[in-house]
Amino acid sequence: MTDLQWARISNDAFNVALFAYLAAMVGYFVFLAFKREAIWQVSRAVAVVGVAANLVSIVARGLAADRVPWGNMYEYSSLLALLVVVGALVVVEGVYRVRSLTGFALMFSVLTLAVAVSFLYVGPGPLVPALNSYWIKIHVQAAIWGSSLFALGGIATIAYLVVDRSERRRLESMSAQTPPPIMGGAIDLDDPDVPADLVPDSAEDAETRPATRRLVPSAAGLDRLAYRIIAVAFPIWTFAVIAGAIWAQEAWGRYWGWDPKETWSFITWVIFAGYLHARATSGWKGRRAAVIALVGFVSLLITYYAVNLWIVGLHSYAK
Amino acid sequence: MSSSQSLTLRQSVAIVWRTLRSMRTALILLLMIGLASVAGSLLPQWPNTPERVLQYRADHPFWGTFFDRAGLFDVFGSWWFVLLVTLLFVSLVACLVPRTRALWRNVRTPPMQAREIDAFPRYAEVAVAAGPDAAIEAARRTLRRRRFRVARDPDRPALAAEKGLAREVGSLAFHWAFILLLAGVIYGKGTGFSGLIAVVEGQTWVDAEANYDGTIRAGRFFDDFTGIGLHVKDFRSDFANTGQPMDFVSEVDLLQPDGSLLREESIRVNHPAKVEGLWIYQSSFGWAPVVEVTVDGEVVSSGPVVMDRDPAPEGVVEFAMPWRGVVKLPGAGAGGLDRAIELELWPDSRAFAALLEPGAVPQAMLVEFDPIIRFTVWEGVIGDLATNRLDSTVLDEVSSGIVGAERTADLADGAALAVGEEGSGSTISFPELRQYSVFQVARDPGVPLVLAAAILILVGLLPALYGSRRKVWVRADPDGDGSTMRVGGFALQRKPQFEDEFARLVDALSSAAGGASVPGRGDREREDREPEDRERVQTP
Repeated sequence: MTDLQWARISNDAFNVALFAYLAAMVGYFVFLAFKREAIWQVSRAVAVVGVAANLVSIVARGLAADRVPWGNMYEYSSLLALLVVVGALVVVEGVYRVRSLTGFALMFSVLTLAVAVSFLYVGPGPLVPALNSYWIKIHVQAAIWGSSLFALGGIATIAYLVVDRSERRRLESMSAQTPPPIMGGAIDLDDPDVPADLVPDSAEDAETRPATRRLVPSAAGLDRLAYRIIAVAFPIWTFAVIAGAIWAQEAWGRYWGWDPKETWSFITWVIFAGYLHARATSGWKGRRAAVIALVGFVSLLITYYAVNLWIVGLHSYAK
Repeated sequence: MSSSQSLTLRQSVAIVWRTLRSMRTALILLLMIGLASVAGSLLPQWPNTPERVLQYRADHPFWGTFFDRAGLFDVFGSWWFVLLVTLLFVSLVACLVPRTRALWRNVRTPPMQAREIDAFPRYAEVAVAAGPDAAIEAARRTLRRRRFRVARDPDRPALAAEKGLAREVGSLAFHWAFILLLAGVIYGKGTGFSGLIAVVEGQTWVDAEANYDGTIRAGRFFDDFTGIGLHVKDFRSDFANTGQPMDFVSEVDLLQPDGSLLREESIRVNHPAKVEGLWIYQSSFGWAPVVEVTVDGEVVSSGPVVMDRDPAPEGVVEFAMPWRGVVKLPGAGAGGLDRAIELELWPDSRAFAALLEPGAVPQAMLVEFDPIIRFTVWEGVIGDLATNRLDSTVLDEVSSGIVGAERTADLADGAALAVGEEGSGSTISFPELRQYSVFQVARDPGVPLVLAAAILILVGLLPALYGSRRKVWVRADPDGDGSTMRVGGFALQRKPQFEDEFARLVDALSSAAGGASVPGRGDREREDREPEDRERVQTP
């Protein structure tokens, strides 16, 4: 096939992925509202179709341009969207058995892809000399993986803050009214097949929350999930920054020059380092730590979008 | 009196030290550095974009002056940023020294024995066939095999074991690595340098102070230039059909100080040449036409003229701009006045021709194609001999014209001359068009230290984030023919994982001591479902 055909396949698959993610997102939100297992299964299948289309789009793009398919913001966005959805499906749903975050992860990816196709689209083409180095495989890959995990951590943090708020409200109204109802033993806590969404985290939770089928894990569960994801993202991000510095030494003659991209990746790193210290050492958890994580999430978005699009620096070519 | 004063001094020093030692201080300092960085990324910075700083100051006179005074146009070189970094590192060291001492003590002292084993968060009792001493010996071997540090209780059949010091070791390595990083940065900045050079094809540059263009950023303790030579044989630029640059290569010979060939090298973007601690980078390039000027039949100037471009106006690509240079001939004009020939090179004359059409859009000149030079002869007083531009207010235009490649033109009236024609005797000829290559030459002896620090940061980070400290105690009491083995333990981090590990450990200990794998008197589990490190159940 010719480059032009590959490029067309890539663009078509991109659109399929965008609409599949959008449909799956709606499905997951309907699932949250009506709590039907069948809706979840269909939504997940649609999301998987989206992942496949997204992957095809990326691979076809690489074949069309005859290089790694992450050489500009459009391509980076596509890969970022893919990894966030895969992370939500494999890690959050698969490992931690939390189904309630996938809709929000899909929303993030839909927005990422929509922005990419509306504002950042460029046709497949060769890399400018400054990007033409094997470090693009190492540095940019690490940055995308770190970003996608930070994004998932940010989504879990936002979910935590929402759930925590409603839990507090419920607790307040309950203590004001009747004693908590006793749990009916509807769920076998030790049954590994029961998704974590339905398992209360502690005895207190079981008491305060009756045997309604809970789709959203407890606030403490979400808080922990966000922490775990960010604790994985942080070393990857650290590696991305270090790899960037090594590349800068090879390409620009200095490993660090406070270029806006370098500066903002450092700011993001500092914020998440602060978050990990707050969590692991000074025992901050819950809302205060969540606020730090949220600031880190915003900083990540600035590092990606604002620095490339609005701040003039050495990374501007990567538009 | 003096003693009370010195006490106050000592007290205040102690207070300052204690404040610096707290992690809160370090984190606040780190946060302030982060905020300073935000300012440094939003405002233009002198070292990165000086022209934007000037623009900003022109657009916003009040804030421009204010920001400049506050050092906000050079955040990362300002005294207060250096102060913040210094305080952070002092605070970091103050945090790390006691922690490192504690770790050292911890490594050298055996795990502490415990009396009330059943008081630990995890606890199990198993009946085993072996006697107390044999059971403890078996437990010791089992735990050793699982890489626990084990200490036997000298007084009774019991032992204490612990594992997971790697977490603290990793955390300390991670944090100390930043001290190493700072050392590498300071050493590199102090003894390194960075400068730009422009070398025309066919010419040789030698690493010496006078041979750098503009300013050299040299460290205070930078000692010497190497005398290494760089001979540029050829420069090539490749562009795609779309005009996108594809490759810039300088084919060079690297020469020893005595002029002998060291090796050949192709320097391109992302592929610097490394020689004697010098890193030589492809930075940019330009055109350098060879121009020969004769006055009254005598050659007064001959050689390549290194040219540059004016910044492109809005909507024009920079490659569409003509290249400009000047040949300055002090005292060569009439009546002892200076003469200067202003040159404007069009490497691709098609672009020049296209502009003569009405409403034409400037075209990029990416390849050499029938190059021409437009020249203007001026007479008067040349001010600065070093610049590539003329001040036309103190000069009078004498003549102007166009000279093509391998052609000659008369300076008196600008008319083209045929081969062999002499004209007025004052001529300009354009025998050859060459390119020049601009290199950034840098030396940073701190790079290996910085790299080592970066590796240490990564290596230390993993156990610091994922390691967990676990402690286990075992005691065996006689029970009939065998004994009752009591196992207690806890984990400081990753508690849910420790639940499983503890259960497997009890199994292994029991079977090693010849016990039933089914726990004898029941495996008691505590209501301790605290999942994370030091988390408490939140009370609303």
